[in-house]
Amino acid sequence: MRESHIMKIHYGTALAAIGLVAVHILMRLTQGFAESLEYESVIANYRFLPYAGLLEIILILLSIHGFNGLRVILLELKQGQTYEKAVSYGCIAAMIALIAYGSRTIFMTNMGLM
Amino acid sequence: MNPHDEHKEGIGGMANPGRYGIERVAYWLMRLTGLGLLGYFVAHIYETSNILKGRVGWEEFLALTQTTEGHIFMTLVIGMCVFHTVNGIRVMLGHGGVGVGKPARPDYPYLPASQNARHKMGIYSAIVLAAVAMMYGMAVMFGE
Repeated sequence: MRESHIMKIHYGTALAAIGLVAVHILMRLTQGFAESLEYESVIANYRFLPYAGLLEIILILLSIHGFNGLRVILLELKQGQTYEKAVSYGCIAAMIALIAYGSRTIFMTNMGLM
Repeated sequence: MNPHDEHKEGIGGMANPGRYGIERVAYWLMRLTGLGLLGYFVAHIYETSNILKGRVGWEEFLALTQTTEGHIFMTLVIGMCVFHTVNGIRVMLGHGGVGVGKPARPDYPYLPASQNARHKMGIYSAIVLAAVAMMYGMAVMFGE
């Protein structure tokens, strides 16, 4: 994929994440920071399908943005065909692993499989 | 010949935050806050997975974060998040040609048109907003 396309995805995921993370943080503040972290409150959040969907979208957006940012930083430090491929594929693998791990928490809690 | 050739310093010379003004400081802060936020994000995903261990597992792990040290760490995360967001919007606007000035013939003293007062204001605004958000975050976390 062309770097210009990757940067458009990088900026797009950033802008989308700003709005959605703001909603995620405001949800903590609507009922008091400490109260919102109580077990029942967190379970209720995960069981509420639109909110679980929001968490899943934030997880995907921030994973793409974060690991592409890491890839850009690492490619600034050193260049070379093997190094660049290793960094790019390594970041994609880490991104997929993090999305899979986070999705497991969201799906299992949403469906009550715990 | 200049006995101290900055081009021979490699990455160290390029990255020196004390030489090229606030723009280079912003460059460093953007990368450091990005790495810090990625680290926090991975830790946050692991932290929230403790909900699968039930009430006891969740409350045990939550107790580790609901300490003075935990709140100070969260304050730093808030600051990193706000700076990265505001400075990121400035960078995006700059890449889109907003606020970088009109193309002109390079004349002595060769001041880059893109490193102008508008973008410097953007960087300082990002730092000030991050500080304000950190103070608000501390008021919320330590106020309860």
